[in-house]
Amino acid sequence: MFPKQEVVAMLLAGGQGSRLGVLTKKLAKPAVPFGGKYRIIDFPLSNCVNSGIEAVGILTQYQPLVLNEYIGNGQPWDLDGMHSGVNCLSPYQAVDGADWYSGTANAIYQNINYIDRYDPEYVVILSGDHIYKMDYNKMLEFHKEKGAACTIAVIDVPLDEASRFGILNTYEDGRIYEFDEKPEHPKSTNASMGIYIFSWKELKKYLVEDEAKGNSSHDFGKDVLPAMLDAGEKMFAYPFEGYWKDVGTIDSLWEANMDLLDPNVTLDLKDIYSRNPMMPPHYVSSDASIQNSLVADGCNVYGNLEFSILFAGVTIGKNATVNSSIIMPGAVIEEGAVVQYAIVAENTVVGKNAVVGEKPEDVTDRDNWGITVIGANTVIGENAVIKAKEMIESDTEVTANEK
Amino acid sequence: MRSNNVLGFIFAGTLDEKIPELSASRTMASVPIGGKYRLIDFVLSNMSNSGINNVGIVAKSNFLSLMDHVGSGSAYDLSKRRSNLTILPPYGGKTFSNYVETIYNMHGYIENSREEYILISPSNVVTNFDYNSVFDFHSKNNADITLIYKHGVVPSGYDRPLTLDVDENGKVKQVFIKLETGDDKVNQFYGSVLIKKDLLMEEIRNSLSLNQLDVKRIIQKSIDKYNVYAYENTGYSAAISSINDYFEFNMDLMKKEVRDELFNPKRPIYTKVRDDAPSKYGLTSSVKNSIIAQGCVIDGEVENCVLSKGVYIGEGAKISNCIVMQDTKIGCNTNLNYVIIDKDVTIKDGRSLMGFDSYPIYIAKKSVV
Repeated sequence: MFPKQEVVAMLLAGGQGSRLGVLTKKLAKPAVPFGGKYRIIDFPLSNCVNSGIEAVGILTQYQPLVLNEYIGNGQPWDLDGMHSGVNCLSPYQAVDGADWYSGTANAIYQNINYIDRYDPEYVVILSGDHIYKMDYNKMLEFHKEKGAACTIAVIDVPLDEASRFGILNTYEDGRIYEFDEKPEHPKSTNASMGIYIFSWKELKKYLVEDEAKGNSSHDFGKDVLPAMLDAGEKMFAYPFEGYWKDVGTIDSLWEANMDLLDPNVTLDLKDIYSRNPMMPPHYVSSDASIQNSLVADGCNVYGNLEFSILFAGVTIGKNATVNSSIIMPGAVIEEGAVVQYAIVAENTVVGKNAVVGEKPEDVTDRDNWGITVIGANTVIGENAVIKAKEMIESDTEVTANEK
Repeated sequence: MRSNNVLGFIFAGTLDEKIPELSASRTMASVPIGGKYRLIDFVLSNMSNSGINNVGIVAKSNFLSLMDHVGSGSAYDLSKRRSNLTILPPYGGKTFSNYVETIYNMHGYIENSREEYILISPSNVVTNFDYNSVFDFHSKNNADITLIYKHGVVPSGYDRPLTLDVDENGKVKQVFIKLETGDDKVNQFYGSVLIKKDLLMEEIRNSLSLNQLDVKRIIQKSIDKYNVYAYENTGYSAAISSINDYFEFNMDLMKKEVRDELFNPKRPIYTKVRDDAPSKYGLTSSVKNSIIAQGCVIDGEVENCVLSKGVYIGEGAKISNCIVMQDTKIGCNTNLNYVIIDKDVTIKDGRSLMGFDSYPIYIAKKSVV
């Protein structure tokens, strides 16, 4: 018998994150490394723990190996309780058949039993691709105060960007009367953050109803939320203030990392927990120069580093220059190489005097400029040149001649 | 002999009295070292990586920080159904200054453990060592006792250390007490011994009944009675026996070959983890030839230093040849050279402190300068 939990969090981590290209070739988006020692999922997981939520289900489907291994028994996040904690929930076979998760709502529907074990009053639905720090308790209080069936966290976005988001139109008291998915002419600037609190009894009812509909895509945003609104349920928008960023694209992932170096950005990394690699402190040589950067354990820096983020165990060779880039665990930038405005994935080697990425000011046609991405376990040969916006597959070798 | 048949047994308070500054509030085993470690991390990781499942740590005094650091032993993979880390505080409230009575005092723990052998170790040696080579060596030679030694100059803090005269097969011919320390290289025995538990306890009981409490004498006499062998640790190893040794070892970490050997990724050194963010270098930072742990914020100039977790270096600060322990704050426009700064110290803006190569200054825990 499981002790009752007032709140259970369900974290949607099954999506492929195809917009991240080679970075999610072999791992799910929430497992993508972020901020020098974290993975994206550390943020919602740490938020749960810091909000006193002790039961977390992670819905996995696409390439779950790295994510499952990383979550393990949940100990780094204090989610290894005797009767609660974190569980990775993948699709499974049952007496009446087997099915992949066909949509976000279906994924929760298939795990109704998991949630029911805890007999919760509320369920928090989170996504695994956002960087932010939030106290879900405050949102829950708001939800209770309003007597809502569903509360959706919203963030104020600039009007000219509002058409990229799902916009919620509300009355003055915050009650939602309309969803506007990526509107051409937004009526408000309340963008949904993809964080929902439901009263479990209501949600369960709508999940079961939605499942029975043949023409539904079983998605929260497209199906379940509109159905609840149509039925006249009390749905509220909870305004969140603070740093929040969707890191679903290469550009936004790069920007969110760079935000960590910006003194004007309010996001701090205190109380964000992660699994820590067992590596010694990093070493900075006499020839090195480091400005405005983050450096994790196990790195060896012999070259020049500016506006960059080094994950654990990265080596920057002598006279190499790394500028405005993100270098993921175990990568090696050899002597004299230049890496700029780029993301270099795990264990990749950038050979001597190779040049990866370009500065925006050096590109004549700005539309062709973008962040360069090198996949994991790749070797960029000596003197090879990789242009702006290029994306190099993981597990490959690129020589100077090919280029 | 398999490693799971060996009990690890560590003395936490080795040479505590030789580093009175650092051991004022802690025992040798929990002295912070190398930016993110405590001394005991090395021997504990070596035992765990060698496949030893059970380790007892004899704690004599000031062991709160030790208990806090090693916790349940889970960081070293020593907290499972069949593996344990046990802190052994003074039993019956008694502490002893000699090894014979100390070991006898713990006979219950030693005799109740299921292992047949015991590996005794001091806590003040920094090395990355695979004990399996000693276990194989011991079995191959049918040894009763194997002593682990290092060939080199004896660190200055050791009073009358034991040195070994070893033949080409590794058999110990003689054990000497070295009267004067000097620059000559000898086979120094630091206190690591592999022996059958039964044999150890028998010797301890015999010695006690004869009121023979001098462990050096007991070891000297053992070569007449037993097959005593010695195994050389040929890798990098540093015994901390004085504040100068401590300083020198930390500075040794600037050498790539030392780091590569000590932090061999196949045999990692484990430690208690703190959730620090990666270290942040500001626009005005300049760091040369230094070891930096996570959670630091650096806006000043740092050269030839070891910075522990969560250290802050203000703008315009010039810090060279310093060892800075965790969460210390060094203000703006300070100037420090050859200073060992303990935990949670605040150095206010504009202060200057100058030690010297052979005489580093020490600033105690929680001081405000």
